[in-house]
Amino acid sequence: MQYATTPTKPGSVHGHAGRGRTAVAQARLVLLVMVNVAQLWILAATVEAALTHRFSALLPLVVASGICFVVTLTLIFWWRPASPSFTSSGYLKR
Amino acid sequence: MSSKLSKTSDKVSGDTRSDESDVRSATAPHQHDFPYDREEEAQVTRREFCNFLGLTSAALFVGAAGFAGKAALDVGHTETVTAAKIEGAAELMPGTSLSFRYPTERDSAILVRSLDGTYHAFGQKCTHLSCPVYFDRSHQRLECPCHEGAFDGRTGDVLHGPPPRPLDTVKLEVRGNGEVWAIGRAAGSNEKLI
Repeated sequence: MQYATTPTKPGSVHGHAGRGRTAVAQARLVLLVMVNVAQLWILAATVEAALTHRFSALLPLVVASGICFVVTLTLIFWWRPASPSFTSSGYLKR
Repeated sequence: MSSKLSKTSDKVSGDTRSDESDVRSATAPHQHDFPYDREEEAQVTRREFCNFLGLTSAALFVGAAGFAGKAALDVGHTETVTAAKIEGAAELMPGTSLSFRYPTERDSAILVRSLDGTYHAFGQKCTHLSCPVYFDRSHQRLECPCHEGAFDGRTGDVLHGPPPRPLDTVKLEVRGNGEVWAIGRAAGSNEKLI
C-alpha cells in the first residue's frame, strides 16, 4: 500500500495526530480509574467475605483483583498512543 | 504614632512578599540551565497520574490477597483448647449475661443464663463484620449494635439482620457446686476454604 508523500503542512498533521493521541491517553486514564474503582469494590467484598467466614468467595475475589491488576499493567505498559514518530494514519513525521 | 504603625505594617507586608521574590531572584540565574517553573510545581502530569493509579492497583491487589491469606491462615490454625472455669457464672441471675474470655485472652465470649436457669455461651463476635454482640434482656436475645443483627439467646441462630451464620458456640459443663466450665468452642459455620 502506497502512502501519500509527506503533507505540505506538517503542523496540521501534527495537530491531528496530537488530538488522536490525547484521546487515546484520556481513554487510557479513564480505563485505569475504572479498574481502580472495581478493585476498591473487590477489596471491600474480600474484607466482608473474610470477616463473615464466606471462604468460598475469597479465592474468586483475589483472582478478580489480580486480573484487574494485570489489566492495569497492560494499560500502563502496552496501551500506548501511536508512536510520536508517525501520524495516526501512518505518515512518517518530519 | 499612626505613621509609625503604617510604616511597620508596610514593612511586615513587604517582608512577607519578599520570601517569594527572594526565591525567584535567587533562582533566576539558573533558570536557563534548569527551566523550573514554580507555578507548575503542584501540577501532576498524566504519566505521573497513570503511575499513581498503577501503584494503587497493586496496593489494592496486595490488600485483597493479604486479607484472604490471613483468613485462610486463621481458619487452618487449630488451637489446643483446655477447659476453663468461668468466674462468677454460679452467681449469675436468670435472664442476665456475663462476658468472659475463652479459649485465649484475645477471644471474647458471652455467657447467657436463660430465664429457666440454663447456661448458654457464644463467641462475642458478630458473624457479619465482627462487632461485639451484647445481651438484650428485654428481648432475651443477643444483638449486634453495628447493623442491627439479632441472634437467639439459647441457640445463637440468626433471628434477623445481615449476619450470614449463627454465632460461634462455647461448649459448657456444669460441675459440682454450680461451677460453670467452658470446655470447647465450635464455629457457627463449617464452610471449607475452597
